[in-house]
Amino acid sequence: MGMISKLIGIVFAAAGFILLFFGMNDTSGLSFVYSLLGLITMSFGFALLTAGKPKEEKPPPPTVTEIRCNDCDFKEIRDFKKGDYVLKPVEDACPKCQTGMTIEGVYIIREEPKETYNV
Amino acid sequence: MQLGADNEFSWIINIAFFAFIMIFSLYGAKFQIWQYLKQIEIGLHEMKRMFVESRQTAIETFKEYGLSEEVVAKELDQFMDYFTIMPVDLDPAGILKRLDHLLDVRRDRFQEFVAELAPESGESMNQNLENTLEVTQVLGLIYRVVRHFYILGKKTGSQIMIMQIHMQMPDLLRLAKAYFDAIGAFSEGKPIGDGVGPLVITKFAREYGATPESYNHEISREVGYYMVEVEGRTVYALRATGPGGTVGKPGFGVKNLMEKYGNKISRIITVDAALKFEGETLGRVAEGTGAAIGDPGPEKHAMEQAATEYGIGIEAIVVKEDEAAAVGIMDKKILDAVPEVIERIKTVIQKRTKPGESIILAGIGNTIGIGL
Repeated sequence: MGMISKLIGIVFAAAGFILLFFGMNDTSGLSFVYSLLGLITMSFGFALLTAGKPKEEKPPPPTVTEIRCNDCDFKEIRDFKKGDYVLKPVEDACPKCQTGMTIEGVYIIREEPKETYNV
Repeated sequence: MQLGADNEFSWIINIAFFAFIMIFSLYGAKFQIWQYLKQIEIGLHEMKRMFVESRQTAIETFKEYGLSEEVVAKELDQFMDYFTIMPVDLDPAGILKRLDHLLDVRRDRFQEFVAELAPESGESMNQNLENTLEVTQVLGLIYRVVRHFYILGKKTGSQIMIMQIHMQMPDLLRLAKAYFDAIGAFSEGKPIGDGVGPLVITKFAREYGATPESYNHEISREVGYYMVEVEGRTVYALRATGPGGTVGKPGFGVKNLMEKYGNKISRIITVDAALKFEGETLGRVAEGTGAAIGDPGPEKHAMEQAATEYGIGIEAIVVKEDEAAAVGIMDKKILDAVPEVIERIKTVIQKRTKPGESIILAGIGNTIGIGL
């Protein structure tokens, strides 16, 4: 749909331009009619060319819970569960060394903004 | 080349041309105002959507704790208009004391309302519900203020009123969106970017052996402290009590600690989130002088007063964040800044204090989702 509408837009804009140019060089009484039609066709073409899809709202990034072992370097990242909070001791023991674990972080990773400013 | 030249219809072109000039010179401003009003209207619809959805989230969250949806909705709508009248400033003497008193009364009222509306909720969840309520109120307030100026501008035809609100619209929408995105964090008890101060305090204190049990509660309202030994110095690491969402009264906590251990304390270090400039990196750490706290006045004043009275240095370490990151769910970059802040605190302690001295380390921020 996107590509086709852009192509139709180009065709309309070009046809409108020709019509306008023809109207401006015509000395007959219909010159305004041609010019007006040309302008309308051109604006319709440009509207089709510049129209984009409505902005789709991106879902927010998922919140994750980072759990770390109190003794070894074991780390687990899972989805956030209601009741999780930072520095909460976790009931499950570390699968590596069987000691306690703590929630070290509850966070999201936001997308980097696309715009960059060279200033 | 002239449009319609030398024919019987050329007078139409001339009339159209002059009509165009006349209409736009006389009514150009009107067209522009009409365009401004349309753009404000679009923004208003967006603000209304955010307010309605956040109200619904608040209702859904409250109704889990004992009362029916109808009762919650009715009570919540009544409370949406709750306001606080700022103290009179024509006679500024004692204004901070009066403001502090008013803020206390307001807080009591909020706590009472939440306890009534969520009878089956615990203390920690009550604080989160309070935050949820406040966010919904803020969104409602932004919407109502903008709508007021939009309607007033339309009624009076005041161009300056319409132009002002139109110019502020992008910023207001950004602010509203930041709060709207944050409502999920508050209703579910997730930590927010503003909580970096208390998080640093607990992580720092734990490095030196502090535990949730060693936390001394209520040095001031909803604020407590850990006492830890750091390279021969005693550090009173102060923060609001979590993991419920509260900022407490850390300024008065510092003041009370000064009154308790005043002659031994040689430095106050404050840690907080600070608004970053556009272009700055999220989670960047910066240092400065003064009390890093963004309250309406009394807390900051209490800290400055205590430092001045005892003639000790007060410094600030901040983590740079934008509004959306400060009120939204904590970003990984903010969490990653914590070790750097802790290193900077250690440097301050080593460089600017001597063994045997005491230091107050105050972590300022909302403790939602951050345990002791």
